[in-house]
Amino acid sequence: MAWFHHIGSALPALLRRKEVEREMDDEMRFHLDMEAKQNERAGMSADAARLSAVRAFGGVERYKEAVRDERGARWFEDLGQDARYAWRTLRRRAGFTFVAALTFALGIGATTTLFSVVKAVLLTPLPYGRPESIAMIWSAWKGFDQTWLSYDEWEAYDSEIRAFADVGLFTDGSITLTGDGEPERLRAGSVHANVFSILGVQPLLGRGFTAEEDRPNGPPVIVLSHGLWQRRFGSDPAIIGRAIQVGGQATTVVGVMPDGFRLPLDFGAAGATEVWQPLATDAAQNGAAPGPAFSPDGMSHGYYGVARLAPGATAEGADRELRALFAHLVREGTYPAEMQFRAFTVPVEQQVTGRVRPVLLVVFAAVGFVLLIACANVAGLLLVRGEARRRELAVRVALGAGVRRLTRQLLTETVVLAGAGGALGVGLAALGIELVRRAAPAGLPRVAEAKLDPAVLLFALGLAGLAALLSGVLPALQASRIAPSSELKEGGRSASVGRGRLRWRQTLVATEVALAVVLVVGAGLMIRSVANLLAIDAGFRPDGVLTMRLSTPSTWYPDSVRVAAFYDDLQPRIDALPGVEAVGAARLLPLSSEMGDWGLVVEGYTPPPNEGTPGDWQVVTPGYFEAMGLKRVAGRFVEQRDRMDAPFVLIVNRRFTERYLAGRQAIGARVKIGNPDNPWTTIVGVVENVRHNALTSEVKPQFYAPLAQFAVTTGNTMRGMTLVVRTSGDPKSLIPPVRSILRSIDPRLPVSEVRTMEQVVGASIAEPRFAMELLGLFGVLALVLSAVGIYGIVSQVVAARAQEFGIRAALGASPRDLVMLSLRSGARQTVAGLALGTGVALLLTRAMTKLLHGVTPTDPVTFAAVVAVTAAVALAATIAPARRAGRADPMSVLHEG
Amino acid sequence: MADSRSEILQGTLEMLVLKTLSLEPMHGWGISLRIRQISGEVFEVNQGSLYPALQRMLRRGLIRSAWRTTEHNRRARYYEITREGTGRLEAQVAEWDRSSGAVNRVLRFAFQGG
Repeated sequence: MAWFHHIGSALPALLRRKEVEREMDDEMRFHLDMEAKQNERAGMSADAARLSAVRAFGGVERYKEAVRDERGARWFEDLGQDARYAWRTLRRRAGFTFVAALTFALGIGATTTLFSVVKAVLLTPLPYGRPESIAMIWSAWKGFDQTWLSYDEWEAYDSEIRAFADVGLFTDGSITLTGDGEPERLRAGSVHANVFSILGVQPLLGRGFTAEEDRPNGPPVIVLSHGLWQRRFGSDPAIIGRAIQVGGQATTVVGVMPDGFRLPLDFGAAGATEVWQPLATDAAQNGAAPGPAFSPDGMSHGYYGVARLAPGATAEGADRELRALFAHLVREGTYPAEMQFRAFTVPVEQQVTGRVRPVLLVVFAAVGFVLLIACANVAGLLLVRGEARRRELAVRVALGAGVRRLTRQLLTETVVLAGAGGALGVGLAALGIELVRRAAPAGLPRVAEAKLDPAVLLFALGLAGLAALLSGVLPALQASRIAPSSELKEGGRSASVGRGRLRWRQTLVATEVALAVVLVVGAGLMIRSVANLLAIDAGFRPDGVLTMRLSTPSTWYPDSVRVAAFYDDLQPRIDALPGVEAVGAARLLPLSSEMGDWGLVVEGYTPPPNEGTPGDWQVVTPGYFEAMGLKRVAGRFVEQRDRMDAPFVLIVNRRFTERYLAGRQAIGARVKIGNPDNPWTTIVGVVENVRHNALTSEVKPQFYAPLAQFAVTTGNTMRGMTLVVRTSGDPKSLIPPVRSILRSIDPRLPVSEVRTMEQVVGASIAEPRFAMELLGLFGVLALVLSAVGIYGIVSQVVAARAQEFGIRAALGASPRDLVMLSLRSGARQTVAGLALGTGVALLLTRAMTKLLHGVTPTDPVTFAAVVAVTAAVALAATIAPARRAGRADPMSVLHEG
Repeated sequence: MADSRSEILQGTLEMLVLKTLSLEPMHGWGISLRIRQISGEVFEVNQGSLYPALQRMLRRGLIRSAWRTTEHNRRARYYEITREGTGRLEAQVAEWDRSSGAVNRVLRFAFQGG
């Protein structure tokens, strides 16, 4: 087929439509003139000559139509005409159009919103060079599934694992920035000089670190994030080479990273590091043996490891090499076999999105179901309308409109509807994306990057097309079967709607119910799961508690005496505020960070060979237990008298006593923290277990050391502590007075992470709660849409059967009989839908297993409740139209008949 | 509906138009007149049906058209056969000869046999 000729004729026909039409007129007029003139020459009168010419031509308009058809542009011209016609039809029925377009808009808007999130979080590559060959390296041993590396391990991986092209270490902490305005506490990363190049990222300005800078006592240098550079330094390119005050020390800025750069672990809830300094450490500092050898004491694990895989190497290959290496280390006796030491890699993409992937995919699938329901709904509405328009369509067929043309016109109507719905839906999506970005859990990485970009818009357009197709096919099929003769012969009245036509609508009802069941089951499971999480006793009382992170830098608080003095000064002043019931401080807030452990010596307890006596370490000031609402099991809490020069005391959790002091009196038992040369401390109290790492995590033995004594008992001075204030009123109302007290004591101190404890608990279950909220929202949406759909369809069925009902009423059926009759017709589809939905849900909810806590994906209680709720909603949607059936008036039938 | 019949007619009409235009460029009415004269009014078709056929042949590149002035000083759309059209005409004539020859042989045989 010479398509170019086709286009060659179609294009001008479209572009110069008027001109082409005029030329056709001229040509045919010329023909008729010539013919008429010839007829005159043959002796006819002028009038007869013209008449004969026209007759011989055979109908000017008819052949004009035929020529238009031949131009090949017909399809486009018709489309424009159909669209205009559709628009007029839709405008005439504003109510129907509004409901249908709004339904489309909800479905398309919700789906587009979720797609933009999925795209930002799961589909957009991480901002690294070739992220597919970057992997995190983790250690694991008994009781620790995924934890830090030691310096010795890094040296071994760097030199011995061939699958790694390059390996680097980093840690995170925080620094205080002064000068250039308000003091600011920032999360800071300490990185090996090669970490930026392992991640495949070049600084935007300046450079990364050199090997000379990345060694102990190297020059103080720092690299800034793009955001900090913009915010605090006004995007000044002259910042490179300038000295800024970091923790009171002049530090040279050597580089600024590009916008969006983050370390691999900075995509999570804890927030991102904003400045980077050289790790600047060596084997000696880490008690490690230099080179690939392992020091007998060099097992302090405190670094994150990241590797660039060698060309052609895979993460699995690296894991195999790591397994072999550890088998060797255990054989050599470097690592005790009982500890079950191992190491493994996690590809960086999986590291960042692995946890949220199942949540997002489940939610995305759910929103797809909402869209399907929306389509079913509009299809139902269109079918109902198609029923009402049968006569109009039949008349048009009888007048010569092709059935194919009619079908296309109906489809065009749906496309216009879906287009309007899509446009509205994109508006909704813009709002939805904004909402999700605000409401999304902090742990949902990169959700801030979700936006309405061209790809998302294209997706929305595709959805609109899909929606039009899905909801337009049935009504178009319905129209294509219109036979004008029978339609018009019925005299416009039919006693009942044909069975075939009803079946489509009934199938739609069943489908909507089934889809709603699946969605509501998903929502129900999440609600049960989150309820289970909230029912867990975390071991403290979060209500009425305000928390904020404080830091006492060594520049201004050189030793632990000054630090303790600061809290001694601070706490009574806060205590004096009206409404404050208790105030204290702790090293780490429960449910907001992972707690590490120290090796302990517990008097009278001999650990099994090679197992050690680890204890999770918490450091607190007096008042912490009362402020956090911990439950006392025995003895006492930390008190004011536990000063540096007083007898050393320790509080332990119940798990500690069960594990290390089983069958013994806990109070009075003695413990050494860390090095066996450290002094003994005496247990003076036992508290109930606190679920520190997560609501669902295992509780390990834990101890609480008084801040004032910790520096003496271990040689460590605590720099960062979190203030905890319990009040009888609204904890947030305490923020200004507490801040002003802090300022009056030391205006240089930065305050960060100001949160209520309820916010902290909420954030710890943010992902399941996010899934619950979205699935709940979609579930409600599904129920409402289905109810509307069922109502519409049943109403129409009742209306179509009005004459039948009238006849039945005339023959003696009671209103109740009629109501029951129409209820029954709806009930069968509802039951079919419930059964189908339950079956599909049983298959699909398995995908949610990872999201659920304390409830199985096939939880019978949830399923039963959902079936009951959906059935009730479907029944409610059926009742109103059914009651209308009961009011069928026999007289009207008889009169009209 | 009436597709098969009109297709046959269309094919024939097309061949006649091409034959006419192979002699000289011509406007629509002229083509129609010439066909009527040649065929001795055998083809009782509406004159208007010529125009959709012309449009179709234009689209396929068998002919091209241009507006010119007639000898009586009127503007008319003239059609002209293209090289593609000439090729098509030769093929169609050959095909026609072949099939009409076959029909003629069958008829002769039938008459002889009968």
